[in-house]
Amino acid sequence: MKFTVNRAIFLKKLKDVQLAVSSRATIPILTGIKLIADSEGIKMTGSNSDISIETILTVSNEAAELTIDAPGEVVLQPARFFSDIVNKLPDETFTVEVKNGVQTSITSASSAFVINGLDAVNYPRLPEIDTKDAFTLPVNLLKKIIKQTVIAVSTHESRPILTGIHFIIKDGKLKAVATDSHRLSQRVIPIEGTENLSYDLVIPGKSLQELTRLLDDSLDEIEVSVAENQILFKTEDTYFYSRLLEGNYPDTNRLIPESSSTQLTLEASTLLGAVERASLLSHEGKNNVVKLTVKDNSVEITGNSPEVGRVNEQVTFNDLKGEDMEISFNPDYLKAALTTFGSIEVTLKLISTLRPFVLVPSENNDEFIQLITPIRTSS
Amino acid sequence: MLDTFTELEAQTEATLGIIKTMKDEVSHLTEENNVLRMENQHLRDRLAEIIKQQSIEKQMTDSGLTKSRLNLEKIYEDGFHVCNLFYGSRRDGDEPCAFCLEVIYGERK
Ligand SMILES: [Zn+2]
Repeated sequence: MKFTVNRAIFLKKLKDVQLAVSSRATIPILTGIKLIADSEGIKMTGSNSDISIETILTVSNEAAELTIDAPGEVVLQPARFFSDIVNKLPDETFTVEVKNGVQTSITSASSAFVINGLDAVNYPRLPEIDTKDAFTLPVNLLKKIIKQTVIAVSTHESRPILTGIHFIIKDGKLKAVATDSHRLSQRVIPIEGTENLSYDLVIPGKSLQELTRLLDDSLDEIEVSVAENQILFKTEDTYFYSRLLEGNYPDTNRLIPESSSTQLTLEASTLLGAVERASLLSHEGKNNVVKLTVKDNSVEITGNSPEVGRVNEQVTFNDLKGEDMEISFNPDYLKAALTTFGSIEVTLKLISTLRPFVLVPSENNDEFIQLITPIRTSS
Repeated sequence: MLDTFTELEAQTEATLGIIKTMKDEVSHLTEENNVLRMENQHLRDRLAEIIKQQSIEKQMTDSGLTKSRLNLEKIYEDGFHVCNLFYGSRRDGDEPCAFCLEVIYGERK
C-alpha cells in the first residue's frame, strides 16, 4: 500500500473515524484505525463495541490531492498516536507506505516515521445492512431531536434499556423518547416519505451523541437503514453504524399526564435564570432541591439549605391559570429541560405537589414535552 | 263421503303434528328460560359481590387514595420502587421515580 495525501483533509477524516475508537477497546486491534487504499481512494474505519464509523476519501476530491501508488490495507494503532503524528508532520502533504508486511512508513518533507502496523485481515468485519428500505432524515432536525431527548437518557447500567433513546416511526411520524425515570423528554415530528414504514427501536444515547458530533451542520440529509440489531446512518461518504439495545422500552405514554390544575406560561430564559441562581445555593446544601410556589397570582422560586442559607426570587411570568401550587424538585433537571427549549415561551403544567409536572412550548405544545418528577419534602 | 273423511283425517293428523312440534318448542323454551333466569341471578350475585368488594377497596382515605395505593405510597416513601421496571429495588439517593408515581397516583381507565 502506498498513497500520498493532503494532510489537513486527511486529518479531518481521521478525526471523524477516531470518534468510534476507544483506547480501552477489549480487542486490541480495535484501538487502531483500518486503512484500505484502492483505485477509488482511501477507506478509513474505526470501531468499538457500540459504534463503527467508516469514511471514504476519494481520488476525485481535488482538495485532497490524493494519489494512490499501490493498493493495500493496514491497521495503524493506537489511533491517537497515528493522528498525533499526522497532525505534527511538517509538510502540507504526506505519504504512507506499507513495507515488509505491516511495517509502515509515514513521510512528510524531510521527516520520516516507521511504525508497526497490524494485519488488516484480523480487523472485525462491519455488519452488512440492507439499504433497500432506507429513509432519509434532515440532518439539522435529527441533531436537534437527539440533543433535546438525550438529556433524559439514563447513565445507570442497572436498566440498560433506559440508556437508549426510544425511536418510534409510525404513520409518517417520528417519536423520540428518553427517560431515566426521574425525568422524561419526548419529541414528535412528521417525516415525509415514511408513511409506509413502521419501526420501534432503542438506540444507545451515547451512540447518538457521537453521531451529532460526526454530522456537520453543512450536511442536508442522512439516509437511515435498520437491520435486526444494528442501525446505519449514511451520508455521501460516511457510514455510521450503531448497535441497537435489546428488549422492550417501558410504556412511557401513561407517564405523561393529560390534564393539569395549574398552567404557568413564561419565558424559558427567565425561569432558567431564576433556577440557576437558586441552584447555586442548593448545590452547596445537603439536598439539591428548590421549590416553585404559585400563590396569590405570584410565582416564586426558593431554596433553603439549613446549613448554608436561603434564596428566594419572584419570577416574572406572562400568564397564570388555575390553583395555587407548591412543588419541589431537583433544579438540575429543570435547568437541563429549559436549556433544550432555547429562548421561547414555555408553559408549565402542574397537577399536584406529588405528581410529575411537564413543560411544553406555549405554542405547538404536542410536539415537544419535558416531564420532571417532584421530590417529596418533609415539610 | 269417504273421500271427505280421508281428507279430514289427513288434515287432523297434520294439525296434530304441528301441535306436537309447538308443544316441544314451548317446553324447550321454558327450560331455556329457567336456565337463563338462574344464570342471570348468579351473575347479579357476582356483580353485587364485586361492587361490594370495590367499594371496600375504594374507601377513600384523607389523601383520596385507595388502601392498596396508600400501601404503595408508603413503600415508595420508605425509599423503594413500586413500579414494574424497578420493582422492590431501593430508590438511589431517594431520587424520585416517574414510573412509581404513575402506579401510585396515575389515573386508571
Ligand atoms: Zn420506580
